[in-house]
Amino acid sequence: MVDGATAGLFLDAAGMKALGAAIAIAVTGYASAIAEKDIGTAAIGAMAENEGLFGKGLILTVIPETIVIFGLVVALLINA
Amino acid sequence: MRLLERLWGKKPSRKSDKKKGTSNYPYAVTRVRAMKSKLLPKESYPRLLNMGIDEITRFIQESEYKNDVDELAMKYSGGDLAEHALNRNLALTYDKLERITLGELNYLIVAYLKRYDVWNIKTLLRGKIYNASVEDILESLIAAGEFTYTSMSELAAKATYQEIVEALKYSEYYPLLQKFDGTNLAYIENELDKMYYTGLFEAIGNPRSKDRKLFAKVVRLEVDVKNLINLFRLKKAGVDQLDDIMPLMIEGGLELKPEKLAPLPYEEFVNELQRTQYWDAISGVAGPDITSLITLESRLIRYYLESSTILSHVSPISVVPILDYIIHKNNEVTNLRIIFRGKENGLSDELIKDQLVVI
Repeated sequence: MVDGATAGLFLDAAGMKALGAAIAIAVTGYASAIAEKDIGTAAIGAMAENEGLFGKGLILTVIPETIVIFGLVVALLINA
Repeated sequence: MRLLERLWGKKPSRKSDKKKGTSNYPYAVTRVRAMKSKLLPKESYPRLLNMGIDEITRFIQESEYKNDVDELAMKYSGGDLAEHALNRNLALTYDKLERITLGELNYLIVAYLKRYDVWNIKTLLRGKIYNASVEDILESLIAAGEFTYTSMSELAAKATYQEIVEALKYSEYYPLLQKFDGTNLAYIENELDKMYYTGLFEAIGNPRSKDRKLFAKVVRLEVDVKNLINLFRLKKAGVDQLDDIMPLMIEGGLELKPEKLAPLPYEEFVNELQRTQYWDAISGVAGPDITSLITLESRLIRYYLESSTILSHVSPISVVPILDYIIHKNNEVTNLRIIFRGKENGLSDELIKDQLVVI
């Protein structure tokens, strides 16, 4: 049996919101990190041979950053 | 962190040299693709054909081979300079590939590049048997395998082939080289090649992942092309005894079955080839009235090069694009060598052009 007081302790609405926001940021941040890892190393590989590719490499590297921005938006919406 | 490393590293089932997780595929593949884009474009070959040897050396000096030509210009000149520069560049490029790769990728590339060890041993033995000068031998050595240029120069400086074989005592080739008695060079060379391919197939193992399957496919395709070229040469020379042909064939081809093709007379042999994928490449030049194999051979090599490029697009982040680069780089060096050696010996442009494999 769970009494009301304990339930309130665990399922506190504000706490749950904060947790949701945290998960949104953490998971998307991790996902962009994984995606950027490969693209970043590939960009460095291309740049090592041809320095002119710096601009393209940089842009391609930050494209997965959108994932964490979506996470940020979701986190802000939850807390709004 | 150390605890994690210990947990990951010490498990016996995870062989660090074969594990995909430790390889740096995206980095190596993109870097190699950028390197491939720097290979000579096909438009430069007609221009090269119109040049003299000094102009070609100059052209090479202004391209990717600049450092090599500059470095060696003090020691050599003319055709020798270009030859040494090309070999040095090839060796350094392959060495670079070994340096920039890790894990499984490195393991496969090192296994593939062992062909240059075999090449060098063959060159050394051949040079000693025919009493070539040390300079001549050095000119043909390509230090792209496991042996360094310095160690091979030492071998080249030895007086007889027995001393070379003795010096290779701790290499994997020693058991075979022991059989060398100064007269059976052809046999030893064939066996070295077969040994190389057996070793390479062992390194590939029983491929399960897609990229290893493709890697194996490219190697098998190469074996087929080599066997086919040899079969054509043998057929043209009138050899059709199974016992004579089979020792010259390399096992592990993709589609061809040399034991079936070997005993056939020329026409049936060609008919049999029509069922294979190689027919499209050679259909125009493999008629019964074939006089020269030069075009046929360059077309087969061209087919092999093109296929490897296509396969490298099937699995973009894998070892295949790197293998593709290795093959194309080798082809470029061979082409340049054909051009200036041809020029040096006064061959006609037409003849030189036929030998080139331009993609």
